Amino acid sequence: MPQEFSQIDRRHPRNDALPKALGLERFAADHYPEGLLWAGARRAGIPHARIRTVDVSAAAALPGVVRVLTRADVAGSNLQGIVHKDQPVLAGDKVRHCGDAVALVLAVDRETLARALSLVRLDLEPLPGVFDPAQALKKGAPLVHEGRRGGNVLVRASIRTGRGAAVLRECPVVVRGTFSTPMQAHAFIETENGTARLLPDGTLEMTVSTQAPFRDRFEIAQALGLDPMRIRVVAPYLGGGFGGKDGATVQCLLALAALHAGGRPVKMWWEREESMLAGYKRHAARLTYALGADRDGTLRALSCRIVMDSGAYAHLGGEVMALGMESAGGPYRIPHADIRGLCVYTNNPVAGAFRGFGAAQTAFAAERMMDRLAEKLGMDPLELRLRNALRRGDRNAAGVTMTASTGMAACLEALRAHPAYAAREAWKRAAPPHARRGAGVAAACIGVGYGRGLPDAATARIELTETGTFRIFNAVPDMGQGNASAFALIAAEALGQSPASFELVQPDTACCLPSGSSSAGRTTYTYGNALVRACGALRDRLLVRGAMALLADDTADLTLAPGAVRHVKSGRAVPLALLARMMILEDRTATAEFVMPVTPDATGGKGFVIGFPHLLFAYAAVLALSEVDELTGAVRVRRFVSATDGGRVLNPQGFEQQVAGALIQGMGWALSEDVLTREGRILNPDLSTYLVPTAADAPEVDCLAVDSVEETGPFGMKGIGEVNLNAALPSIGAAVQDACGARLDAAPLTPEKVLGARPRRARRTP
Amino acid sequence: MSRVHAPRGLAELLALRADLPGAALMAGGTDLVPRSRARGGLPEDVILLQDVPELHGITSGKGLLRIGAAATHAALLADPRVGRGLPVLARALACLASPAIRNMGSIGGNICTASPAGDTLPPLHVLEARVELAGREGVRELSLAEFILGPGRTALGPGEVLCAVLVPRPEGFSLQHFEKVGLRGAMAIAVVSLAAMLRLDGRGRVAEARLAWGSAGPAVVRCPAAEAALLGRRPTLSALRAAARHARAAVRPIDDLRASAAYRREVAGNLLLRLADLSSR
Repeated sequence: MPQEFSQIDRRHPRNDALPKALGLERFAADHYPEGLLWAGARRAGIPHARIRTVDVSAAAALPGVVRVLTRADVAGSNLQGIVHKDQPVLAGDKVRHCGDAVALVLAVDRETLARALSLVRLDLEPLPGVFDPAQALKKGAPLVHEGRRGGNVLVRASIRTGRGAAVLRECPVVVRGTFSTPMQAHAFIETENGTARLLPDGTLEMTVSTQAPFRDRFEIAQALGLDPMRIRVVAPYLGGGFGGKDGATVQCLLALAALHAGGRPVKMWWEREESMLAGYKRHAARLTYALGADRDGTLRALSCRIVMDSGAYAHLGGEVMALGMESAGGPYRIPHADIRGLCVYTNNPVAGAFRGFGAAQTAFAAERMMDRLAEKLGMDPLELRLRNALRRGDRNAAGVTMTASTGMAACLEALRAHPAYAAREAWKRAAPPHARRGAGVAAACIGVGYGRGLPDAATARIELTETGTFRIFNAVPDMGQGNASAFALIAAEALGQSPASFELVQPDTACCLPSGSSSAGRTTYTYGNALVRACGALRDRLLVRGAMALLADDTADLTLAPGAVRHVKSGRAVPLALLARMMILEDRTATAEFVMPVTPDATGGKGFVIGFPHLLFAYAAVLALSEVDELTGAVRVRRFVSATDGGRVLNPQGFEQQVAGALIQGMGWALSEDVLTREGRILNPDLSTYLVPTAADAPEVDCLAVDSVEETGPFGMKGIGEVNLNAALPSIGAAVQDACGARLDAAPLTPEKVLGARPRRARRTP
Repeated sequence: MSRVHAPRGLAELLALRADLPGAALMAGGTDLVPRSRARGGLPEDVILLQDVPELHGITSGKGLLRIGAAATHAALLADPRVGRGLPVLARALACLASPAIRNMGSIGGNICTASPAGDTLPPLHVLEARVELAGREGVRELSLAEFILGPGRTALGPGEVLCAVLVPRPEGFSLQHFEKVGLRGAMAIAVVSLAAMLRLDGRGRVAEARLAWGSAGPAVVRCPAAEAALLGRRPTLSALRAAARHARAAVRPIDDLRASAAYRREVAGNLLLRLADLSSR
């Protein structure tokens, strides 16, 4: 039976839209506490070296320099990391990539800081380095981390289902391919930053641009030898995150600086070049695939080898690879599979979490293999996908059974029914002179939540204020995806109020309740579920209090109306403002937890620490219409049409922003974004050489939502922030091949590669 | 910290220039300021050009347009004498950086930066523009080819200032084209660019061709052989292919992060073929 909603599934402007447009919203970077000191890190500048000495005397002697700290000043483990703790706060004996911090300077202003940083004298003994995984895996290769059993192998994992890759020999049709995807930078507008201050009572108070304020406390505490409960982290709206602010960026350095600032506030704000140098990146990957099918296109077997470059430290390398392996076979039924993954240490910049999280890399390979298979079988690429699309109850190539909402087929059907799909051939024929047009389709999926092994919970807190409005204590940072606004909408629906009656407190470990990170498509899902429960408890309590005020015998006769508790039969009502005055804070407050459900599946996976498998998946099918210039090889995406299964859409405006944003970020990775390195040094460390798409590059985007309800989600939703990114590169790759015959298996698809890859006959045209 | 000087007229500017030979001249600062990040700050002395009236404004003279060196790209685009009268330049201005930078950056700055990728340079070359330099000894004029010596190097004398760009009004060039190959739709440095002006006779044959490439050598590349190859022919694909062969032989591109020299060479020729689309319209 269709549910009736008053707020859900209607267009609402975001709560932060106006304050951001007016410049009133204060990001972490906007905080300049009175009397602040500036903190900055001296970076190693060379990719692999033994540290002989760090001479800080000249820097410390510079007027205006308050302190210069080194490894010797760190009291705790000195190790940061979300799961695997292997990244020093300040490197002491060894440098493993150019961005390693070796000294921390506190100074009265930025100019003095910059001068002092240049005066720190490093005596480094260069070591031979390893700069790609193949080199790192060779026998006798220099070791990034000595004394590990696995050498340079961070994680080796495998998934075997059915009879594995042996079945390829029985398949009448087999296609093979090797693919590579580049390192990508998050390139958020607000680079990594925060402020910190040690209060007289010993509390360390921090305001940080972070995706995980609650976990940060423990990461900082462990690295620096502090009590996590004496650390308070406040996380205002972020000027972008995309995964790059999940895990310590400035946190430990900033906390260390504050411990030595004599109680003065400290600010650290990475410059753009420093963000490129020391910030995390999407893992570069190399993927070798073989896919076998029957003549009718039914997929039978998959073999795949994934090698990811973790850079100098682990960050979430194993978990990123786990998610990539879980969807290595795409959103399809494949009964027999052998999926192997290696995540490898090198002396390159550190890779970490990034929207798409491993599944973006495998989606490129899996989808282009599907195109190759369609070509070989003479089948329509969309029909081939539809024939094999996962449906509820099916198992994917990794052996995970889809028990929740599974709308892959619905997405493909919605795409097929879209007018732009039917008109694609006519559109192609209307190409202007010296341009070739092509259409490409890709399907993608991605697990929602952390996956098994890492409990994933959120705790909501909501209160009726003294004036009769509501206050939500959001505990999961809003990095731009709009979860905070979604929470106001969820609570408005649950309590029958207008969204305008909700005030949002942004994450603050002092008053919000422990919740997981803003990541993994789980932000709105987990906290939203907790919030629905908290709203239920608050509503029940308000009805009981209202019954007393209205002298009603039975709360069943009462309803929560906008701004009041109403007695349905008599029409009498007591305003919430009046009720609030009769309640103490504890009485006006409701809290509730939600723990992400996990799949009971036992699969053939080996070698994973956490992060595999998942219960919930988001799905998307994307059509890319692209134009290739025959004279230059330049690719322009003219239009994306996307059909997404994200369960029920809470706010179509927020949904469209996430879909279009993911596609355009994916388009950047497909066409121009590539962190170029030579021997571990970044060659394009700024935004004039590292090229993200501009508004002038953004195509028209049609965002369709398929009719889907995720029964376990708040009002039926599930997370969709990532899945479309995964479909961008393969759909553009297919469109480029369709346009001019250039089959490019190494992203990005630069004009030079496209021009060079066109088949001979196409090249003669100009 | 830099000392900032804001002269109120050309005489004051020239006096400052003589007193402070190491000072940087700054109009919009769109090249100077980003470059100073890598160099650890602005020079000790910076002379602002914004309040020097002699460097602003566009005036029509006998057969030519005199463009003040500090005129912004946006101001030029908005002026119909450029927007409609000099389409080859207007096309380059329209794809230069971004609207915000076009509001700040000046044509004189684009010339004096002398980047092989400067977007206004190939159009100014085919327009056969000249630059007017003022010094304490007086005023002199140079062609653009005489003025720009190489990447970042110009013939601007120690006490001199670029005052204006003198653009002869092109007569009869019915086909004017500029194209930049960048790696994205805006805020892109030219990987290679082409400015072209063709004057056609009554029968559609090329009576005069002027072609110039950006990012194809240390300075803008003109190619007389390619221009000659078009003379007397209609700008058809086959005629343009012949000219493209000469162009590919003439350019001297480099390999860098954005593209290889080989790609630039190939595309420098390919871009000529676009003229066939334009002339057939």
